[in-house]
Amino acid sequence: MDMRANARGVLLSGNQAVAYGVLLARPDVIPVYPITPQTPILEQIIELHSEGRMKAELLTPESEHSAMSACIPASLTGARVFTATSSQGLLLMHELLHYASGARSSIVMCNVNRTPASPWGFWPDQLDSLAQRDTGWIQVYSESPQESLDGVIQLFRVAETANIPAMICHDAFYVSHAVEPVEIPSQLTVDEFLPPFKPDIRLDTTLGRSFGAPADQRNWNNTRRDLDAAMATVPDLVSEAGRLWGDLTGRHYAPLEEYRMEGADVVIVTMGSMCGTVREAVDAMREAGVKAGMLKVRLFRPLPMAALRQALEGVPCAIVLDRNYSPGTGGILHQELKSVLFNMKNAPRLHGLMAGVGGVNVSPAKIGELVAQYRDKEPQVGAIWVD
Amino acid sequence: MQEFIILGRGGQGAQTAGNQLAQAFYAEGKYVQTFATYGGARRGTPVTSSLRVDDKPVRLRCNIERASALLCFDGSLIDANFLRTVDKDTLIVVNTAKPREAFAALGDYRIIPIDGREVARKFEMGKMVNSALLGAFVAVLKEPNIKTMCEVIEETAPAKKEQNVAACQYAYDLVRQAN
Repeated sequence: MDMRANARGVLLSGNQAVAYGVLLARPDVIPVYPITPQTPILEQIIELHSEGRMKAELLTPESEHSAMSACIPASLTGARVFTATSSQGLLLMHELLHYASGARSSIVMCNVNRTPASPWGFWPDQLDSLAQRDTGWIQVYSESPQESLDGVIQLFRVAETANIPAMICHDAFYVSHAVEPVEIPSQLTVDEFLPPFKPDIRLDTTLGRSFGAPADQRNWNNTRRDLDAAMATVPDLVSEAGRLWGDLTGRHYAPLEEYRMEGADVVIVTMGSMCGTVREAVDAMREAGVKAGMLKVRLFRPLPMAALRQALEGVPCAIVLDRNYSPGTGGILHQELKSVLFNMKNAPRLHGLMAGVGGVNVSPAKIGELVAQYRDKEPQVGAIWVD
Repeated sequence: MQEFIILGRGGQGAQTAGNQLAQAFYAEGKYVQTFATYGGARRGTPVTSSLRVDDKPVRLRCNIERASALLCFDGSLIDANFLRTVDKDTLIVVNTAKPREAFAALGDYRIIPIDGREVARKFEMGKMVNSALLGAFVAVLKEPNIKTMCEVIEETAPAKKEQNVAACQYAYDLVRQAN
């Protein structure tokens, strides 16, 4: 590559970018099992490991369930732990996701958002991770390979501070396989940002402690109150990590991002790869005199409720684009937004559109059409299928 | 922004070709985004590699609905579905031993045949046609510079670097002379 190329970063896929983020975070243990379209993360990690650049202990057990089973005790000893999965693999981990947060581990996982079976499919759709929203994991949705690399590093800091496991999710193919310029920060920068993980409470043969012991009703209840209190600190931790990372790298992040929302009559609310396409749609609409904007939800769990209310107050119309379908209710982000806006004065008319479910293509032109079609309509309680 | 599609079957190297072409454009100062989509990591299943090239960072994250040029690794993949992503102006480079006239029944399309297998055989590369096809594609696109393309192939080809570069240059010259 010539110097111009180097000055603008290197070409990496979203999955490779995640692996480089993991490398820079200096993890101790990585239990991982392959699954399309996550496998390139595993392949890149194994390559970095075999080159001697990554010192972590790599475990390749027989299933995702076993991979997560290895992650939890490793994290509880105070090891920095990473894993990655997708779709069926994440769903197989489900019971242990509850265990991981209940035991207050600090695992960071990348989930590549892919349609769950049946029918079999490999397409971008966020139902796999959204269906884990009640498991007590922090969830961040990434729009680009750069954001995924930066996000992995930031999430280690957040997860290890709050003692809550964290998931960074990026969409199959549109992010996981998108090869584009990515700036890899220096090890010095990452070391300055991410202190070593040294939990006070840990599994240690020199300390008489255990995790996962049976608890009576009151103690079980207390564990969830403690988790709730810790969750409440996460939006600020994510803001602080995003600010500090921005000071070091020039790339700032926050739980939410407002794109061209000044004086907007209509705001599109969405997550993940769809945000990139919406930016183009918003620019085209603004060009045509439509006062459109976008609110990107980066932090989904915990849901940054106060920030969402603040961002949407006084906006006449908001349209949620959900790339997922929860049978019996509709789009999940739409459901969440309805609860956030509960009893709020000057709340927007809120439309829930299921766009791109199952990986169906959503172009900027399509988004422009949807805005024209729904912006002046009275909202419905339920979500609407479009495309 | 220019949008290209490379169509092949798993194992033929369409994804690699997309990445190599992206690297060549990137080395010449363009911004690129390329992504492959496939139905499971298996040999033989259709693979689509999409490439966007622009003077500014690419933000779009959706499929290419209308390609300005298309490179097809396998003539058997040309069907109605395939033709939805092209129009009369799309430059379509097809790996085939057949002449242009053999595709007349499809309609009025700008099809440029290249016998990638023949080129690969000539340089003792068996079935590995991707470097030859990239040479032909670059000749039709008139960018990036063939020298840049060959440099990227030399840098990234996992084996037979010299033969890959020679096949790329040979197919490039062949298409330039014929068109």
